[in-house]
Amino acid sequence: MAQMSYAGETLWIGYACRLLIIAGFVAAIMGSLSYFLAFQNRAQAALEKSWQRLGHIGAAIHGVSILSLIGLIFFSMITRKYEYNYVFEHVSDDLPMRYILSAFWEGQEGSFMLWMFWHIVLGAIIWFTDKKWRVPVLSVLLLVEVCLNSMILGIYLPFTLDDIRIGSNPMVLIRENMEAPIFQNAQYLSLIKGRGLNPLLQNYWNTIHPPTLFLGFASTVVPFAYAIAGLWSREDKAWLKSGLKWSLFSGGILGIGILMGSFWAYEALSFGGYWAWDPVENSSLVPWIIMIAGIHTHLIAKNTGAGLRSTYLFYILSFVLVLYSTLLTRSGILGDTSAHAFTEMGLEWQLTGFLLIFLLGGISLLLYRVRTIQEPTKEESMWSREFWMYVGALILAFSGILITASTSLPVYNTIIKIFKPDYAGMVLQDPIEHYNRYQLWIGVLVSFLSGFAIFLRYKLGKFTRAHAIQTGFHLLLAGILTYLVSRWIALPQWQMILMAFAGLYVVVSSVEYLFRVASKNIRLGASGFSHLGFGLMLVGLLASGGNSYHLNNPFLFKGLSDEEGFEEKYVQLIKNKPLLVRGHMVTYESDTLIDRERFYTLDFKKIDKDLKVLDSFKLYPNAMYSNDFAKVAAFNPDTKHYFGRDVFTCVVNIPSHLTDAEKLKEMEDTIKYEQIVVAPGDTVEFNILKFVFGKVDLSPQSPDYLKSENDLGLEIPFEVYDEEGTLVDKSYTTIGMKGALVYKYPAKLESEGMRIRPSELTIDEFVSPEDDLQYETFDLKQGDSYTFGDFKIKLAGFDRNVKHVNYQAEEGDLAIAALLEIEDKNGAISTQKPVYIIRGNRPFGLKDYDINLGLHSRLIEINPSDERFTIKVAKDQRNENKMVMELATNVPRSDYLILEAKVFPGINYFWAGCLLMMIGLLMAWYFKLKEPKKQTA
Amino acid sequence: MKKTFIIPLIMIVAAIVIITSATKDVSTYGDFSTATESGDRLKIVGKLAKDKPMVYDAENTPNEFQFYLVDDKGAERKVLLKKPKPQDFERSEQIVLTGKMSGDAFVADEILMKCPSKYKNEEISIKSES
Repeated sequence: MAQMSYAGETLWIGYACRLLIIAGFVAAIMGSLSYFLAFQNRAQAALEKSWQRLGHIGAAIHGVSILSLIGLIFFSMITRKYEYNYVFEHVSDDLPMRYILSAFWEGQEGSFMLWMFWHIVLGAIIWFTDKKWRVPVLSVLLLVEVCLNSMILGIYLPFTLDDIRIGSNPMVLIRENMEAPIFQNAQYLSLIKGRGLNPLLQNYWNTIHPPTLFLGFASTVVPFAYAIAGLWSREDKAWLKSGLKWSLFSGGILGIGILMGSFWAYEALSFGGYWAWDPVENSSLVPWIIMIAGIHTHLIAKNTGAGLRSTYLFYILSFVLVLYSTLLTRSGILGDTSAHAFTEMGLEWQLTGFLLIFLLGGISLLLYRVRTIQEPTKEESMWSREFWMYVGALILAFSGILITASTSLPVYNTIIKIFKPDYAGMVLQDPIEHYNRYQLWIGVLVSFLSGFAIFLRYKLGKFTRAHAIQTGFHLLLAGILTYLVSRWIALPQWQMILMAFAGLYVVVSSVEYLFRVASKNIRLGASGFSHLGFGLMLVGLLASGGNSYHLNNPFLFKGLSDEEGFEEKYVQLIKNKPLLVRGHMVTYESDTLIDRERFYTLDFKKIDKDLKVLDSFKLYPNAMYSNDFAKVAAFNPDTKHYFGRDVFTCVVNIPSHLTDAEKLKEMEDTIKYEQIVVAPGDTVEFNILKFVFGKVDLSPQSPDYLKSENDLGLEIPFEVYDEEGTLVDKSYTTIGMKGALVYKYPAKLESEGMRIRPSELTIDEFVSPEDDLQYETFDLKQGDSYTFGDFKIKLAGFDRNVKHVNYQAEEGDLAIAALLEIEDKNGAISTQKPVYIIRGNRPFGLKDYDINLGLHSRLIEINPSDERFTIKVAKDQRNENKMVMELATNVPRSDYLILEAKVFPGINYFWAGCLLMMIGLLMAWYFKLKEPKKQTA
Repeated sequence: MKKTFIIPLIMIVAAIVIITSATKDVSTYGDFSTATESGDRLKIVGKLAKDKPMVYDAENTPNEFQFYLVDDKGAERKVLLKKPKPQDFERSEQIVLTGKMSGDAFVADEILMKCPSKYKNEEISIKSES
């Protein structure tokens, strides 16, 4: 293709971004290497200093480059520079500004930049606050940055077979990224619009969850870097003080990030739960679990000097597992085992390499140093705190290993398939059951250990009588509480009873700890809160996970349907028809469209056995349309929160022709209308029903009919009776005309599966063009009457207070309406008010029209001298008062939805428990931060 | 440190026990013939038979959706999915079902669909005239 010059492109941004990406990459290499050499040469002050300076420069250039890059990309997103691929993919003209952040991290490149952003922030804090350790720590952190930066390099390695690509540059031009005929056009930019943000991600959760989670992920590198620095410097104890702050922070933030994801899934997505042991969820949980294990061995190391090797191992693993999680979720390797959609980017090998560098590097360094790490030779006593804490940490690590082992099944499959291409692949048949079965024991063991160990002391090797009594008391209380809990929720298996008992034991023990110990010194309270949270979480899990139930049709018992063992989870709700579902009366009342979401109003009434209403509330689950409004993109839930339980609702299905514009057209095309001719007042039998039509109305009430000046609208009311003569429906149907276009608004008889609408022939019948009318002129005085055909017309008076559909009063108007009394051949009287107006010396008239009589009247002139009115009257050319109606049968109904309604008892214990754990971690972090500096050894 | 070595040892033993006991949680993807033979609950991968009818009668059986699936071996069977018809079902490229055979039909209560990503299609939308 010949070189073309394209109109409207802002090319400098692309060049600048490319430059910044490369500058950031090179500077990170320079910084990491210089800091490395500075630390290696720390014995020679002068050499160390000059390398350090170079390191600072590299770090600064890297930070500034990446921050500027992010700034430039934001600039092009805000200014809608669609010539760039990333902007085109994630932004559209109609995307509200508040979702620009979400659009930025929707794509893989954006989330890598978010990750780098946090590393730069964390790195800067370390640079300013920890002069002692910043050189080795930042050397490691910058090496990680080299790897992350390489993910957005977007360069092709020359001289390789298939042009191996390193990274993906988000700011390539769209015309370089794909081939399409539109790029033959130099003006292509004015023709394209962005694809925009996935509607599922257009909510505030996607604005706060990713940055929190990524701050959590990013922060795991700090304990890792401190651990590497500790191993490297051979000062195995010196880093513990500074490192602990960071691991507490990391544990707290990563935990909150995961929790937010879980809450988002529950609160705003249609999953109907908060944790599904999905590989994507698991792989972010495991680094947190290992981090928590590391924090516990770290505390042991800090207090007793033991457990250093484990601490090193856990911090290395926690970070490497974050990389593993990145590999799993971004490589497409999870394929059909995960419900979360992630597309591949073609950078799997790069990510694998990235993972291996830090796994092998970290583990080799640890193995190289493992014999020279000084730990106390004296064995800790069975009755010291560190012994049980250590056991607990190992159990946590064990939990992480088990989860990872099962989550990695798709990885084993992929590896085996390299050697055996026709390998079918192994898969967990029932993941939730599998993980729950094993992780239950982790929960039980960790509870007993933490509940017991929190009252023990470091290094002291005695189990006192007092402690035994105290433990016995805790166990007794936990037993009583377990009994009470079992009255509230069902605990059908002994394992569940044990788990409840264990959870309640740690609750009792932590509460006593908080009152007895932490009340004297708040700094000791952090662990109490965290452990209390852990216990509450277990109870909440049993209540909300094990005892959730669907609000479904109680009359459909299991076994009655032909396949046993499948619960009828979903119910059909027909508009305005209440349905009884397990103690609740649910009514689908209406639906309202707000922006791109259709909200369904559901009325819930909790009732007792005598149908007495105990409580009532409304819920508004919704259906969200795609950006172009062509189809329903997603259903979002709505939940009623009580202290002790939640009622979760989510629409799972609506009539298919309402989900998709194409399907609606298909459906409309299948509707076959039959014509019938009726007169007002006639009763027509159709499809075993009787229809009675009323008189035509010229001012339609239908909410769909939009009145505007040129519109003509006819509305025909009707009543429907069944065979026995009972009124079953009463409605109206409307037809509108705008210029030559005819709009029909059919009446929908949903339960009868029928539609009724006027035919356009009705318009012809009732509305004659003005030219076809033959007027007769009369000169009348007030009180005079005149005979016109079958009608007797009398000028009853006049009206200066003019009201007419087509008249809008203006200042200076002289307006008057003649009051005509019309008697038809049957003696029925009706009135008409034709109008005469003088506006700015120009006279004009507005006619009146009785559509049912077919009579038109005009006021032509008023003679003030003798008070005579000149009136013109005309009659339609119609033969009879016949309306042509169209009726269709077998129309699919549109007035129902399929609902999933689920009760989660005690879910607040789960949220409160999880939150308490994280608050405990952050409290501990805060106290460590506030510790006086002089204690730093 | 002897005691602290006993614990990892116990864990290793526990891990071996767990892994051997967990092997029954794991199996290969099945197909209709293995499902008929064993009668067990399993996962089947396949594609929607687009020429066969799909039935979802929301009024009478809102909890059942019928369609036909062609498994990896090319066998076609009727599927009774114990859920409402999923969104975008027709667009699915691949379907993973969990369930078991019941007579001639495969009764499933879980479904995972692989759909072509909305944002991967290589077409460029043109601005509509406004």
